[in-house]
Amino acid sequence: MTGQPALLDLRAVSKHFTRKPDFAERLAIRLGAPEPPVVRAVEDVSLEVAEGQAVGLVGESGCGKSTLGRIVAGVHARTSGQLWYRGREDRAFTAEEARRTQIEIQMIFQDPMNSLNPRMRVADIIGEAPVVHGLFPSRERVQRVGALMREVGLDPAYARRFPHQFSGGQRQRIGIARALAVEPRFLVCDESVAALDVSIQAQVLNLFMDLRERRGLTYLFISHDLGVVRHLTDRVAIMYLGRLVEDGPTREIFAGPNHPYTRALLAGAPRIGRGRQTFTALKGELPSPINPPPGCPFHTRCPHVFARCRSEMPRLRPVASGRLSACHLNDQA
Amino acid sequence: MTALLEVTGLKTHFLTRAGAVRAVDGVDLTLRAGEVLGLVGESGSGKSVTSFSILGLVDPPGKVVGGSVRFKGEDLIQASPERLRQLRGRDIAMIFQDPMLTLTPVLRIETQMVETVLAHERTSYAGARERALDMLARVGIPAPQERIRAYPHQFSGGMRQRVAIAIAMLHGPSLILADEPTTALDVTIQGQVLSEMQRLVAETGTAMIWVSHDLAVVEAIADRIIVMYAGRVVEEGPVAEVIARPGHPYTRGLLDSTPSAATPGGRLRQIPGMAPSVLNLPPGCPFAPRCAHVRPECSTPPPVRRLGPERTVRCFAPLIPEVGQ
Ligand SMILES: Nc1ncnc2c1ncn2[C@@H]1O[C@H](COP(=O)(O)OP(=O)(O)OP(=O)(O)O)[C@@H](O)[C@H]1O
Ligand SMILES: Nc1ncnc2c1ncn2[C@@H]1O[C@H](COP(=O)(O)OP(=O)(O)OP(=O)(O)O)[C@@H](O)[C@H]1O
Ligand code: SF4
Ligand SMILES: [Mg+2]
Ligand SMILES: [Mg+2]
Repeated sequence: MTGQPALLDLRAVSKHFTRKPDFAERLAIRLGAPEPPVVRAVEDVSLEVAEGQAVGLVGESGCGKSTLGRIVAGVHARTSGQLWYRGREDRAFTAEEARRTQIEIQMIFQDPMNSLNPRMRVADIIGEAPVVHGLFPSRERVQRVGALMREVGLDPAYARRFPHQFSGGQRQRIGIARALAVEPRFLVCDESVAALDVSIQAQVLNLFMDLRERRGLTYLFISHDLGVVRHLTDRVAIMYLGRLVEDGPTREIFAGPNHPYTRALLAGAPRIGRGRQTFTALKGELPSPINPPPGCPFHTRCPHVFARCRSEMPRLRPVASGRLSACHLNDQA
Repeated sequence: MTALLEVTGLKTHFLTRAGAVRAVDGVDLTLRAGEVLGLVGESGSGKSVTSFSILGLVDPPGKVVGGSVRFKGEDLIQASPERLRQLRGRDIAMIFQDPMLTLTPVLRIETQMVETVLAHERTSYAGARERALDMLARVGIPAPQERIRAYPHQFSGGMRQRVAIAIAMLHGPSLILADEPTTALDVTIQGQVLSEMQRLVAETGTAMIWVSHDLAVVEAIADRIIVMYAGRVVEEGPVAEVIARPGHPYTRGLLDSTPSAATPGGRLRQIPGMAPSVLNLPPGCPFAPRCAHVRPECSTPPPVRRLGPERTVRCFAPLIPEVGQ
C-alpha cells in the first residue's frame, strides 16, 4: 500500500493451540509417549487493511478465519508476529491507546448464543457498554437501545426479553446491535448474517454499507457466503489451512481467480436457478492443521499438482498489480 | 400411500407476561420417505419451533396448544416422554441450529459420539468408536483419530456443526430435522457434507426437513419447499416451480433481496417495513402491512388457493393464476 500507514497491519501472525494432556496421557508422556500435538490454526499471515476498506476473509471451514478475527479483536493472544493499529504496534500501546483500541475494534461473533450472557436482558446487553464508556447518558438508554434494535429489524418491544427467548436470527441481530452500540471504527464480522433470511440480511448489509459511507467504518468480513462477500467487499483474502493463499480486489478475483483453491471454491457455489444438484466431495485427502503436509498446503487436493508442490512451499507473491497468490503454477509461464 | 410424517394444524404458543407469543400458528406439512422438504421463511417465523414441536422439545412457557403430529401413524403429541426419548436419535434425529444444543461443552467429542452410538445399539466401545471415526471422516474432519479427543470449544464453528451432522447420521434415522445445518460451512466442505446426506437419502430412504435461508442450497437438494411467515405456511410447492415463479408476494420479496439480484456494492432490495410482532398479529394477512399488492379484503384471513397440482398459496392476490376455478 502507498502513503499513509494502514489502519490495521498484521505482520507474520501465527496462532498455535496446544491441548492439555489428560491424566492417562500425562502418565503415558512420562513413559516416553509424545505430547499432544499442536494445532497450527493461523500460520504466518500478513494482511493490511486501509481505513474505510471492506476486506472479505473466506476459506474452508476450520482454516483459521475466526482465530485470525479474534486476534484482531484482541480476544486471542497470538503465538508470534506483530499487530499494528493506527501506525502503532499493540505491544507499545499506552494504557489509553489500549482502551481506545478495545472500543474501536468490535467483533460480531460467529456463535451468538455463546457470546450473549443468558442472564442479561437484551436492553442491558446492548446498552451497558456504551453507558459505561460514556457514549450516551443512561437516561437516553431506552431510546438509543430502541433505535439500535430497529436498525437491525428487531421490535424494541422485545427489549426486556432474555436471549433464549429469541430465534437464531434474532439472537444474531442482538450481537450486531451490541457491537454497533459503542460506535466502533473497525468491525470484525464473523459469519454475521449467516442466520438471517435474505430480506433481513439485505437490511443489515445495507446498514453496514451506510455506516461505511457515513462514518468511514472499516470491515474485516468473514463469510462463507460468496454472494455476500462479492457484494460488500472491495478486497478479498482467501485462507487455506491457516495461511493466506490469495489476496486481491474482489471484482478481479471473482472474475479470474488465480489460486487453484480459490478456483475450486468459486466453481462450487450453488446458485439460484441452477435447479437440482448432486453434490460430490473434492477429491484427495483433507489436510490437517495438526500435521500440515510438506510443500503446498493444497497439494493433496489440487488438480494441477506437480513434483515441486509436494516438497516446496509456494510463497505468497505478486502475480499482477495489487494481487497476491501462493502457487507454483505462477512460475511456470 | 401413507405419509412418514404428517403435521396438521400445529399451534405452539409461548405464554409470556406480555401475552401469548403465537410462534407457530396452524402449520400443516407432510413428508414421504426419501423426500427432502425445504423450509424457508422470515427470521422468527417459527421454523425452529416447528421442529422442536415435532420432537416434543418445547419447554415451558412454550406449549403445543393445538394440532397433531403423526410419525409412521403414531401421534407424537400424545406420546410419553419415554417414547419420545426412544425415537429421538434413533428414528428421528435433529440437527439443531445451535450445535451446542447437541454437544455438551465439558465432554470430549469422543465420549459424546460413542455414548450416542451405545444409547441405541449393542456394540463394544471400540466398535462404537470406529463408527464415530468413520462418520467424522465423512463429514470432512481431518485427522479424526486425534481430533476426536478434543472438546467442542476446540473446534471451529463449522467443525462443531459437522459433528452435530455426524451424530444425526449415526443411526441412519428415518427422519432428519436439519435446522440451518450448513450455515457455517464453506462451499467445498458443504459439498462433501451434502453428498453424504444425499447418499443417506438415496440408500436408506431417510426423509429430511431442511430449514435454511440459503435458497440456492434448498433448490439444489429439496423436492418441495414450504415458505413460512409469522407462524404460518404462506406458500408450498415443488421447489423449482416456486423459485422460478413464486406465488406469494413474500416469497417474491425474498427472492428479490438476494445479493445476486443486485449490482455489486449497490443497495440491496429489502422488503419494506418490519416483521410483525407475533404478540399482536393483525387479524388478516400478517404480510399485509408490507405488501405491494395489498387489497381491502387482506384485513380478513386469506384463503388457501391452489396454483397447481401440488402448489398452494395463502393469499387473496396470488402472483400467478389459480387453477381449477
Ligand atoms: N422461549 C421463548 N419465549 C418467547 N418467545 C419465543 C421463545 N422462543 C422463541 N420465541 C419466539 O417464537 C418465534 C419463532 O421462533 P423460531 O425460533 O421458531 O424462529 P425461526 O423461524 O427459527 O427463526 P430464525 O430463522 O431466526 O432461526 C420468534 O418470534 C421468537 O422470538
Ligand atoms: N480454543 C482452541 N483450542 C484448540 N484448537 C482450536 C481452538 N480454537 C480453534 N481451534 C482450531 O483452530 C483451527 C481453526 O479454527 P477457526 O475457528 O479459526 O476456523 P474457521 O476458519 O473460523 O472455521 P469455520 O469456518 O468452521 O468457523 C481449527 O482446526 C480449530 O479446531
Ligand atoms: S502450488 Fe501446486 S499444489 Fe499448490 S496450488 Fe499451486 S499447483 Fe496446486
Ligand atoms: Mg469460524
Ligand atoms: Mg431458527
